[in-house]
Amino acid sequence: MPRVGVFICQCGNNIASTVDTKKVAEEVAGLPGVVFTCDYKFMCSSPGQEMLKNAIKEHRLDSVVISACSPHMHEKTFRKASESAGLNPYRCEIANIREQCSWVHHDRTKKTGTIKSIDLTRMTIERVKRSRSLTKIKIPITKRALVIGGGIAGIQSALDMADGGVEVIVVEREPSIGGNMARLSETFPTMDCSQCILTPKMVEAELHENIRLYTYSEVERIDGYIGNFTVEIRKKARYVDEELCTGCGECIEKCPFKSGSEFELALRNRKVIYTPFPQAVPNIPVIDARNCPKIQKNKCGACAIVCGPKAIDFSQKDRIVTEKVGAIVVATGYELMPNERFGEYGYGRIKDVINGLQFERLASSSGPTGGEIRRPSDGKVPKSVVFIQCVGSRDEKRGVPYCSKICCMYTAKHTMLYKHKVHDGQAYVFYMDIRSGGKRYEEFVRRAIEHEGSMYLRGRVSRVYERNGKVIVQGADTLSGSQVEIEADMVVLATAIVARSGADTLAKKLGIGYDRYNFYNEYHPKLRPVETTTAGIYLAGTCIGPMDIPDSVSQGSAAASKVLSLFAGDELAREPQTARVNTMTCNACWDCLTACPYSAIEREEVKDRRGETIRWLARVNEGVCQGCGVCVAVCRSKSIDLNGYTDEEIYAAINAF
Amino acid sequence: MERELRDTARRLLEDKTVGVVVGYSWNRKKTRTTPVFVTKPEDAERLIFNPLCVNNLSVYLTRKYPDVRALGRIGIVAKGCDIRNIVVLMAEGQIQREDIYIIGMTCSGVVYRQELWEGELKPEIMPTKCHNCDVRNPHLADTVIGERVSFTPPETPQGVVFDRIREIEGMSPSERWEFWMGHFSRCIKCYACRQVCSLCYCERCITDKNMPQWIETSAHPRGNLAWNLIRAMHLFGRCTFCGECERACPVNIPLNILNQKLAMVAKEAFDYSSGYDPEVHPPLRVFDPEDREDFIK
Repeated sequence: MPRVGVFICQCGNNIASTVDTKKVAEEVAGLPGVVFTCDYKFMCSSPGQEMLKNAIKEHRLDSVVISACSPHMHEKTFRKASESAGLNPYRCEIANIREQCSWVHHDRTKKTGTIKSIDLTRMTIERVKRSRSLTKIKIPITKRALVIGGGIAGIQSALDMADGGVEVIVVEREPSIGGNMARLSETFPTMDCSQCILTPKMVEAELHENIRLYTYSEVERIDGYIGNFTVEIRKKARYVDEELCTGCGECIEKCPFKSGSEFELALRNRKVIYTPFPQAVPNIPVIDARNCPKIQKNKCGACAIVCGPKAIDFSQKDRIVTEKVGAIVVATGYELMPNERFGEYGYGRIKDVINGLQFERLASSSGPTGGEIRRPSDGKVPKSVVFIQCVGSRDEKRGVPYCSKICCMYTAKHTMLYKHKVHDGQAYVFYMDIRSGGKRYEEFVRRAIEHEGSMYLRGRVSRVYERNGKVIVQGADTLSGSQVEIEADMVVLATAIVARSGADTLAKKLGIGYDRYNFYNEYHPKLRPVETTTAGIYLAGTCIGPMDIPDSVSQGSAAASKVLSLFAGDELAREPQTARVNTMTCNACWDCLTACPYSAIEREEVKDRRGETIRWLARVNEGVCQGCGVCVAVCRSKSIDLNGYTDEEIYAAINAF
Repeated sequence: MERELRDTARRLLEDKTVGVVVGYSWNRKKTRTTPVFVTKPEDAERLIFNPLCVNNLSVYLTRKYPDVRALGRIGIVAKGCDIRNIVVLMAEGQIQREDIYIIGMTCSGVVYRQELWEGELKPEIMPTKCHNCDVRNPHLADTVIGERVSFTPPETPQGVVFDRIREIEGMSPSERWEFWMGHFSRCIKCYACRQVCSLCYCERCITDKNMPQWIETSAHPRGNLAWNLIRAMHLFGRCTFCGECERACPVNIPLNILNQKLAMVAKEAFDYSSGYDPEVHPPLRVFDPEDREDFIK
């Protein structure tokens, strides 16, 4: 006969106000197999847990039911307490009488709530009587991490993990690591040069003995599960042998063809064989195959002729490399929303309307103008520049409803940079609100307004058009209640930050969640901000949502610390609620195999002593199985069951209702 | 045709291509056909083929008959409709293509019940499946015996089963309930429908599971309904409409209506017909993001 203990929690008044917990305890006390019941103010408190432990020992309980809050809250607490009292933790089950009962019933006479609590408790009692003792599953882990994206978040994460002794593979889509941060000129609020603080980290990553960089590469396929991922990486054809190339740059020098530079956001041309920027890591050029006449039409080949070490190889093909890793950090970053969507601002139509990142390049000493602010159309120094904030951000109709978070700060920075370089120039800023929460951020914006003479106008711009070589900006100043028209030389749009193109495709490969803007979902936005719901996959930086450099770096480090703690042990213990095949009745029809969304089911051959196949069976890989139960549903002969949620338990619970 | 069949069978047995030929033979009075398992070349003379060969012999390929499998590679005499079942068995990993030798028979139709036979094959005594058959020339076989049959199935399916489906579709839900409960109430839970079905091959049928017992095993209206619905659902997207279950049913439950209706749903909802391609899996076991969702309400 089972010996079940039932503990009813009052949760202060959360449960007790609509449920008569004493009555529940009395009612279920009479059920067969129940040998102990009680109710208490806070079962999760230390005295509550002591009660549980004492009762288990004193009454020799073989299973317990806690009628309390959702198992999401305290299942772990009670299972741990049960375990310390010598009970198998999986023989402790929770009946949710708070979220699913007391909170949704407002009957202060406690009638409805009590009846329902008794039902829920009784169902769980019947279930727990049939529950089995389970042990955690131990899986070996590959202590090696993959970082997808070589921007600042990815670099920081990789460096931290590598310093922690973990081998790290960084996959970067572009020919160089560095990401968007490499494009920036100075950074707010300290105004230190972006490349000066970033490139040392890039070089450190390149030289670190524990880090391997796969630049100009993309993740093709991901298989496996926490601790044991298999990743296929597509190394795109560079047409330059990475082993032989010395990075002398002779080929770039001699290449006679040009094309728009991706890194410079079309503000300058680059050669067809190129490194994106001088400090590129690795310093190995790439041939832009689409624009290379040698590859397209077998004409030219100048680079190959001048190359001393003979590193140019026009026959190179994309290569797939397979790597095994135990954890993955996703740091794919952001891009700016295409401004073409906003016709009234003239982007793409008027040459002197640029976006924030392009302005960063204009202000950068390594940029197309050598750090002088010159407008793209005719190279003149603009004497007045209009900055328009919230282009696409906070615009539910045509853009995105969220705030891109960093634009207020970088626009203030832009006005300062502009003023520092063009002393007699005037910066105007059209803004909706100034959001400058952050250490030393508000002071920074005040400095721009009060000391650097930037003119801040609260209002929206209705139209931007060209007149006599000037860009005319028409808008409203809502504080003075007047219409304004500014004759500007250049307009800079603070366009919304959006997720990387292809972020959704990657999410599907990884099996992680993403929101309607293709930003990746955290496991919990506050308490587990760098984890995903897929075990072993972590997030860092702007792939989660708009954030600034300090936040991205912190997240990179946070994700690294998650990986390091995952790798601290040699084995991984995971919950044992996985599918189990009844080998006696399995028909090997493979319905479960095709239905399994996690590829957790394998074919198993059963051989006799002579090595001849007697039969085939479905086998569950416990490391991969997520316990979703799809296989249980499709199995016609009911030969698969879910540990912890067996048919028998569920059936008993339903019958007790 | 029979001569060719016997010669083929003898040759296959003589050169040990197969260990057994599963085919049809006469009963002692030569009034009915019956399955026969030929293991000796000289017994190949017992094999026959005519419109009375209505049984679907593919059931002998399943794990329900380990003793047939134990005889070695199986040569099976199969009509196109029987081959459709073999294809489903292959798709579900129950048999490997190389483990069987399919002696495909061209066919001009069979009788619905052997007792209706009066020496001549008339449309009235043919089952619905024959009127709409698109596999009179076997679509998957190691050797095909018999002359090519030219027959194009009608565009709108014909036959009594389809007429009755249309009739039931016109009923109100309560009338339908009455209709089916009336039929199911006769069920005596003999499981003949399951035993004769080549796709009901489970080692342990769900109805035999008792921990927990999902289906009441007594012949009680509730248990009868549960059994018949689960049987139909387990065959959804798999049943080839061979009609053996209805032929075997001692209380004449019109299972063909149920099976054919489900086949129509599979066709409509998933554009899937079972038994044509062993590489394609039944729709309920695969997830396709392109699946139609408009029938989920």
